[in-house]
Order: sequence, then structure tokens, then C-alpha cells
Amino acid sequence: MRNKIIEMRGIVKSYYLGTPNELEILHGIDLDVYEGEFLSIVGASGSGKSTLMNILGALDRPTKGHYYLDHLPMENVRDDGLSQIRNKKIGFVFQTFNLIPRSTALKNVALPMLYGGIPRSERSRRAAELLQLVEMSGRSHHRPNELSGGQKQRVAIARAMANDPAIILADEPTGALDTHTGRLVMDIFHRLHQEQGKTIILITHNVELAEETERTIRLRDGSIVDNRMNGHYQLEGCYESV
Amino acid sequence: MNLFENIRLALEGLRANKMRALLTMLGIIIGIASVMAISTLGSAMTGSVTKTMDKIGGKNIMVSLSPKNYDTQSTLQEEDLITQEELDAFRNTYADQIKAISFSTGMGSGQLNSGFIHKDVSITGASPDYGLVNNVNLVQGRFISDRDMDGTRNVIIIDTTLRNNLVGVDGDVIGKEIQVDTKSTNETYTVIGVYEKMVIDNPLFYMGDDTRIECFIPITTAKSLNPDTTNQNGYENFTIMATTNTDSAAFAQTTKEYFIKGLGSLSDFTIQAESLEAIASEATGMLATLSLGISVIAGISLLVGGIGVMNIMLVSVTERTKEIGIRKALGARNSAIRSQFIIEAIIICLIGGIIGVGLGSALGIMGSTLMKFPTSPPFLPMIIALCFSMAIGVFFGFYPANKAAKLDPIDALRYE
Repeated sequence: MRNKIIEMRGIVKSYYLGTPNELEILHGIDLDVYEGEFLSIVGASGSGKSTLMNILGALDRPTKGHYYLDHLPMENVRDDGLSQIRNKKIGFVFQTFNLIPRSTALKNVALPMLYGGIPRSERSRRAAELLQLVEMSGRSHHRPNELSGGQKQRVAIARAMANDPAIILADEPTGALDTHTGRLVMDIFHRLHQEQGKTIILITHNVELAEETERTIRLRDGSIVDNRMNGHYQLEGCYESV
Repeated sequence: MNLFENIRLALEGLRANKMRALLTMLGIIIGIASVMAISTLGSAMTGSVTKTMDKIGGKNIMVSLSPKNYDTQSTLQEEDLITQEELDAFRNTYADQIKAISFSTGMGSGQLNSGFIHKDVSITGASPDYGLVNNVNLVQGRFISDRDMDGTRNVIIIDTTLRNNLVGVDGDVIGKEIQVDTKSTNETYTVIGVYEKMVIDNPLFYMGDDTRIECFIPITTAKSLNPDTTNQNGYENFTIMATTNTDSAAFAQTTKEYFIKGLGSLSDFTIQAESLEAIASEATGMLATLSLGISVIAGISLLVGGIGVMNIMLVSVTERTKEIGIRKALGARNSAIRSQFIIEAIIICLIGGIIGVGLGSALGIMGSTLMKFPTSPPFLPMIIALCFSMAIGVFFGFYPANKAAKLDPIDALRYE
């Protein structure tokens, strides 16, 4: 039995725009993600993708339902607790990179370790190592505005890896990149998945990219409408369900 | 996340916006600089008062008989006067606190005649200790001796200007005979000493240019020449020089009580004893209060500076909303964000404070030099100023920092 990294049961997220105008975005999501999986979540805009990602990433709390991340129940966790969970368990990769503009690539990569309380020398050492992993060693002392989009995203991926998180949560990581650069970024994800056995959740509306992953979850209007193994992974998937 | 990490982060933030940081600091710089300049000037003035008082005779206690009631005409009676015996007894009782006692009596002004030279002078009858007690700076010859006193000799001490007039700068005036005419006397005196007039170059003590020349003769001689005989056998006033480790203000009180006892309750007179030190400390106390008052007013500009810091920190929080969102997504706790911004505010204020202390000290030194009592800036106000500027950082940085800490990570990340 593979280790269940994420277990979601009946996740509901509603926004109250003043009663009785309650707006339910997610209508009871059940989702399991296993360690080492490369999963994609697809859906049109307004499908609840972002809301689901915020909950998966411990940026937000569900209104109802249970969420276990790496076997930790996420109910009743205070703000500081969520910060800590984000810091240790989750690596974010954003569409717009979200690097700190004033800091060098190296410092950006070291940032999650700073908040994780890792000593300075260890931070620099590991940040340099991670930049090497994404082939960005040569630019470690450049600021984000001196880097191309693809380079920024590689730095962001290195940063997501900083505290060796349980999952990497990539929200449209190629959305702001051209096809060629996007390809390079996707290759890095595949490499992390294959070589390091990282659990990766890719959130995208690009069906082609989603096809590359092991399993695709399709969201529509706040519910999961499809959950299947992709292409050459299908065999393996069927094997598992037996 | 420790303090050093926060300081490093804050410095990075300030480096990104140097001009803005400097302008924000300006309010703090001006506030701290004016407080520092004023307190430096204040301490310079206080120091100069003390120094001048020491020059005049800081350990001196002036004792005099004065009427109990100024409204009624009271005349000194023979028995009111303090006798030599009483003084000797007093001196023996407090031998360890008294360095010297001097007496003097004014003879009024007169005219000095020597050959073709005629000069207006004032004559003071003085005792041998007068020179010590009043810091008479003898440059030639000697001061009045006990033998001059006992013999009621006609000897005189003149000042350097008079010497220069009589015999020139290099001339020997000792032994020269000069004639002095006062209202009631015309006597011939032998010059036994030359003193240099004390120059008080403190503008706070400026009392007008006294061009009269003061000459000293033995007090016994002065009294013998005085037609008024009531104070022949006692003293109406005298000056005590206390030893250096005596609290002269307290000793003045002791002296007063001592002689009041001897005066008897029937007398119309009482004893006044004032220590120069007490007068000086009263004056310096007033100066200190004054400079504190002005400092407080100058401190108001610090308040304005602090509001400037708060304003710029609020702008900075808004500008960096996205950055705050990123930091929170990466696991920064609210407290980490809060301390990042508070420390940034403290550092702005502290750098401003340091520049202000430097600038204010420089201004204070310049000002005090111009006012002719150069001084180094006082240490305590420096430390207080720096602590205060840090406190301003904490106080005015807290609200913006708290606002930053409470931002919702999702909203902050979405902020463009």
C-alpha cells in the first residue's frame, strides 16, 4: 500500500457574501494523493481550481470536510500552524514566479529555509545545491529582473524544493512561458518526479500538459467530474486498482 | 528567525529605496539634532558657570550682618559686631572645614597722584587672606602681611594697568611712593605688590566694563583712617573659604546658625551666609531646566518625524503586499512579518538618530565655541536620544507592521 500524502473527504468551501447569499465554490471534494504521484488538476476558470489549490496548499481552510496532509489533520490548525505546514510540507510554484524582486536567486531559494529556522551557512549550501539541480548555478547572484521567465521559474522550483516538502504544488507553472521554455520547466518536474520521487500536483487548464502526468483530476463547477490514469500510465493504474 | 536575520532583511529593504529612507529619516535627524545641540549648549553653559564660579571663588561663603527688618531704620551697635575672639573660637571649632577667612572694607574712591599722573582708583582695606580667598593674582611683590596689619602700615597693592602707567611694563614699581586722596584722607602709600585684574570672559557674567582700578591696603590701616568708629573692634562682614571637600552650602547654614546664637535675640540684626557654590548650583539648575524645556519643544519635531516614519511604512506595506503574500506562502509566520517591518522602522529611526546625534553634537560644539565656552557633547543625552529614536521606531512602526502581519496570504498573493 502506497503512502497517502493527501486525503480529502467532503471538502466544501463557501463564501458568505452576506446571508442568505452563500456562495458554495467546492461541493464536497474527495481526493487521495499518494506519495510519489504526479497528479494534474484541470478545469476551466471558475471551476474551483484555485480554491482547491489554496486549500491543498494550506493557504485557506475548508468550510466543511476533512483534510489530512501527510497524515496531519488540518482542522483547527491556527494561522501559525498553517504557516509552519506551508513551510515544511508544501513547495509552491506559481504562474507568475513570485520571486522576491530585491533578493538574488540564491537568497530567494534560501528564503523558505530562513523561515524554517535553518542556520545561514546551511541555507546557502543547500540553496546552491538546489540551484545546481535546476541548472541555475551560474546565475545564483542575479536578481529576478536579470533573469528570463524560464530562469525565474527554475529558481522558483528550486525554492519550492528548499525544505524538502511532502508535495510540490504547481499552479499553471508554464502559463507565463512560451512553449519551448514551458517544455523545459515541465522536464524539470518530470525529472524531480522520476529521480527524486517527489509528489507533484500540477494545476493547469492545458489538457496536453495534464496528459503528461500520471493521473488527471477534472474539476467542473466545484466538483470532480473525472479522475483517471493517463496514456501509458493507464496500465500501471489499472494494475493498482485490481 | 533571529534578530540578525531581521536586521539584514530590513537593511536590504532600505537599500532598495535609499532616497526615500533618507527623506523619512530627515524628520528624525532634525529632531534628534536639535535636542542634541540644545543639550550640548546647555551643558556648555552649565560648565562655564561652574568654571567661572570656581575662578571667582566657588568655595567661598560670604557672611554679613543684615537688618532683620529693612523697613525700620536700624543702626549697627557695637555689640552686634562679630569680634576677633568669636571668629577665633569659630575657626577652632570648624578647623577642618575652613581654609581661610578674609575681611575687607571699602574706603570708596579716590584719586591717585604720582608726578604728572592722576588716576581714579577705589581703595579696599583687606586682610592678608583676602588675596587667597578672592584669587588675587599677584605678579610682582607681595600681598598684605600680618606685620602690615599690626603696624597699620601705609602700604598698597596696585594693578598692572596702574603699574604700566606709572613705570611702564618693565619698570620696577615696588617701593615707589604714591599719594592717594579720598574724600576724607590724603595719605602716601608705599607700593608693595602688583596684581593682575581678573578677566571674566564669560558672556553670562558680563557686568559691564569696570574701568576703575582697585587698590588694596591693610584693613587695619583703612579702619584707622575711617572717621566712623563703630566698627573698629569687630567685623560686619567677612568671607570664609571652605576646604575643597566641604559642602559649602551646608557649611554656610552651619555658619549662619553659629553666629546667630552669638548675636542674641534682642539685636535688630541677623546673619546672612551665602555660599557661591549654592548660588552657582541654583543658576546651573535653572539653566538645566531651561535647556530641558527647549529640548522638549524640539522633541515635538521628533513626533512629527515619527509620524513621517509611520506614513512611509504604511506606503511600504501596501507596496510590498505581494512580497508579504509570497513570504507568507513560503511559511513566514505573522510574527516574522511583524518583526521584519518593526525592525525596518527601528533601523530607519536609529540611523536617523545616529546622524542626528552627530549633527547635533557638531552644531552644539560649534555653538558653544562661538559662545566662548567650548565643550564636548554630554554623554547621557546622547544615549537618551538614541534610545528615544528607537522607541519612536517601535511606536510608529507597530501599526504598519501589524497591518502587514495580518494580511491574508491569498489576497496578498493576488495583489498587483
